[in-house]
Amino acid sequence: MRKVRIFALSLFMLLVAATDLAGQLPSNQLPTQSLKPYWHVFIAYAIVIVMVLGWVVSIARRLTRVEAQLGE
Amino acid sequence: MIEYLGQVRAIVWKDLLLEARTRERVVAMGAFAVLTGVLFNYSIDRTVVRPQDIGAGLIWMTIVFGGLLGVGRTFHLEAQDGALQGVLMSPAPKDAVFLAKVLSNFVLLYIVSLMIVAVFMLFFGLELGSSAASLGLVLALGVLGFVALATLFAAVSAGTRMGETLLPILIFPLLIPMIVYGAGATSRLLAGRPGTEVADNIRMLAAFALTAVAAGAVLFRFVVED
Amino acid sequence: MSVKGIRLTGTALAVLGLLGLVLVYWLSFFWVSTEVSQGIAQRIFYVHVPAAWTSFLAFGIAAFTSGMYLWLRDERLDRAALAAAEGGMVFATIMLTTGPLWGKIAWGTYWEWDPRLTSTLLLWFIFLGYFMVRTGTENPEKGKRFAAVVAIIGALDIPFIHLSVVWFRTLHPDPVVLKPEQPTLPADMLTLLLVSLAVFTMLFMGLFLLRYALENLRAEAQARSREATA
Repeated sequence: MRKVRIFALSLFMLLVAATDLAGQLPSNQLPTQSLKPYWHVFIAYAIVIVMVLGWVVSIARRLTRVEAQLGE
Repeated sequence: MIEYLGQVRAIVWKDLLLEARTRERVVAMGAFAVLTGVLFNYSIDRTVVRPQDIGAGLIWMTIVFGGLLGVGRTFHLEAQDGALQGVLMSPAPKDAVFLAKVLSNFVLLYIVSLMIVAVFMLFFGLELGSSAASLGLVLALGVLGFVALATLFAAVSAGTRMGETLLPILIFPLLIPMIVYGAGATSRLLAGRPGTEVADNIRMLAAFALTAVAAGAVLFRFVVED
Repeated sequence: MSVKGIRLTGTALAVLGLLGLVLVYWLSFFWVSTEVSQGIAQRIFYVHVPAAWTSFLAFGIAAFTSGMYLWLRDERLDRAALAAAEGGMVFATIMLTTGPLWGKIAWGTYWEWDPRLTSTLLLWFIFLGYFMVRTGTENPEKGKRFAAVVAIIGALDIPFIHLSVVWFRTLHPDPVVLKPEQPTLPADMLTLLLVSLAVFTMLFMGLFLLRYALENLRAEAQARSREATA
């Protein structure tokens, strides 16, 4: 699970870097330059989901662990 | 009340006497001031940047780092020979102990801050004009706030595994107001502006210092109790 | 309220909050109008601002319960502070990551010392200090008290911090003149913002209650294992 999260986080950072780099190229070479804001919105909204669900999952896992402990 | 002040005075006297006898901390902090000034000189390019433009900032950063070094060890010395227990078991209320520590640290750091200003004025050709008293007040209030926070959190960090290395992380965010208003006023005064122009800064520094001292006095007992 | 009751309430609020989040996302993409000067990037506003609000709410709760803990010495208050601090850090991180993403489009640069971003950054570090002293102390009881002090001093200082960074900014205005929000928001944008604020608050409260319940259960498990070995 942790590896998945690390992978997802690195993917996001890569995407952010890519959108920034894409913005540097001359516009005639890159008809999609105007897509950069869309990327940023996408990543921002994705970060919200990742962080919130991340916390949810973290709490859930710790709860099951503690319940197992109390169960014995 | 008189007894309370007497207790505070006793602890302050002990600390300052200790310091006067060994001169350990003031020498270290003084050397720090001079050497930092030298390092700063070689870290800036005088053809591009005028020292007068950044002098105030450099002074305050040096005060912060020097203060960290000096105040960070406030409880270190005592914790070493178990003297901290001795101080705490005394009949003096904990807030009196705190105020005493703050006072003795303040005297020390204030002297050092004056040293820093003098050294930097010498090294970087800074001038004061007629507003020396205002600068003295700005420094005093800024240093007081700093010392109150640093003393409280020195006691906290002394109780953690990381020790003094934790101190900067704990207090740097809290010091932003001091830097903004203190360096802002200093920069104005060093540029020859009159003291009246920095009255707002002084007010904010005073409020900050008062809050820090009061909060520290109230919370110190929770930090040092067993 | 029993731990079970807290868990139930927490779960209900969290589920509602998550559903609300879906609603906010939908409204943000398909309903609300596009802002004139900033275009599509302005939509980040609808998650960025509520995240900021929530992180400060969380911090307020952490500082308040910390103060009560030092006064009343009820362990449950400390557990509440811990739960709130954890949530605060989550939402502060959201605010600090979405802010620059928005800023790069709106201001042309990722960071330019916007007072609200700066205050939240410092708040994030105060949270960090909270956790570092809590986990970095050998004696856990001491650690709790240290952390409470960090939270209380932090809460007292945040107004000063914010005032000072705003004041600094008026003296050193950035050459970038674009303002992140218009002075008055059109009705649909305001509605979405308010909905999002409510959703984030509900989501946080639900997860906060669950995290608090978790901490209570942990304490019970610890107490039981101590009894078992005694």
